Amino acid sequence: MPQFEDVHFFSSLIFWSLISFGILFYLLKKFAFPPILNALEEREKKIRGDIEDAERIKKEAQEIKKELEETLQAAHGKAEMIVQLANEEAKKLQAKNLRETEAKVRQIQKDAEQEIQSSRNKLLQEIRSYAATLTVASTEKFLKKVLDDADKKRLVAESIEQVIEELEKQRN
Amino acid sequence: MESPLDHFKIHTIIPIHIGGLDLSINNAVVAMWAGLAIVVGTFTLAVSRGVSPVPGKLQSVLEVALEFIRNMVFEFIGEEEGKKYIPFIATLFLFILACNLIGLVPGSYTITSQLAVTGAFAVGIFILTLVIGFRRHGINFFGILVPPGVPKIIIPLIVPIEIISMLARPISLAVRLFANMTAGHTVLAVLFGLAMTGPLWLGWLPFGFTIAINGLEIAIALIQAYIFTTLTCVYIGDVIKLH
Repeated sequence: MPQFEDVHFFSSLIFWSLISFGILFYLLKKFAFPPILNALEEREKKIRGDIEDAERIKKEAQEIKKELEETLQAAHGKAEMIVQLANEEAKKLQAKNLRETEAKVRQIQKDAEQEIQSSRNKLLQEIRSYAATLTVASTEKFLKKVLDDADKKRLVAESIEQVIEELEKQRN
Repeated sequence: MESPLDHFKIHTIIPIHIGGLDLSINNAVVAMWAGLAIVVGTFTLAVSRGVSPVPGKLQSVLEVALEFIRNMVFEFIGEEEGKKYIPFIATLFLFILACNLIGLVPGSYTITSQLAVTGAFAVGIFILTLVIGFRRHGINFFGILVPPGVPKIIIPLIVPIEIISMLARPISLAVRLFANMTAGHTVLAVLFGLAMTGPLWLGWLPFGFTIAINGLEIAIALIQAYIFTTLTCVYIGDVIKLH
């Protein structure tokens, strides 16, 4: 085989291949590999970071969603409670109003009755005094005779009683 | 008729002799330079345009290649330790691949079909692993000759075996690449010789085979470059981890 026959070429082959390898290594290591490897690493880092960010954001969104749902549920509960309270309050208020109105009506009724009673008494008194005067005057004229004081009073009282009795009779 | 081994012959182009050493530039060296020029040119083209985070076609190809090598280094040497070996391993891969592939161009030369060259690289890598091992572990590096869990009584037996296995590494590394390249090119030369000497009605058959084997040779060029660098990674990883 020629590879083992031309032994004197070995030195040149080994020398140039090692030298060339060294130069290639130097050139690639110095100029070519760093930017490409950096680009690779940066991209990997970016992708990893992006994925992590996305996962974090997703998690946050889920947490926020959960929180919102909880808040919503709480708000629903609160609203229901408020409505219930308002209903109860309204019922209470209604009952109170009713009670007050009833009391007021009763009071008015009572006042009216009292007034009626007092008016009636007053009226009766007036009638009584009027009738007395009338009776005295008419009796005086009728008898043409002046009575003394004691008789006057007695007669008046009698007349009044009579008038009242008649009035009562009429009313009944 | 030419021998199928004739194309392994070396012709001096520019004779250089220094101190009795023949450092002449010959056809093998020129072919190697052509291959390396393509590598350098490709990288220059990619880097001079500016490496962008969103890669173009060329940058993508180079990134895939470097990522492949990087993952290989990380797998066998480890992520922390392996980082500083990436440029060396990548250069080794590209060097062998370029030499293997440029040899497939008719009329050029495959410098990796020279046992002297593959041997020089294999021995160089062997020395490198020894240097890394001793620098890292000092005298404990001899522990690599005693696999863990071996009964003490077998140690006198196992140490010579381990020494032989260590020494066999550079030899197998060198011979594997050299033999693969030589065999492939010899087969190609034989087939093409048949195609050229046979009559046309028969000659198309070996010619077709030549084309098919050429395709296979491209795959072999890649595979051998890959195996050479993978084993280098394994050897470096071994001396760093000590088993």
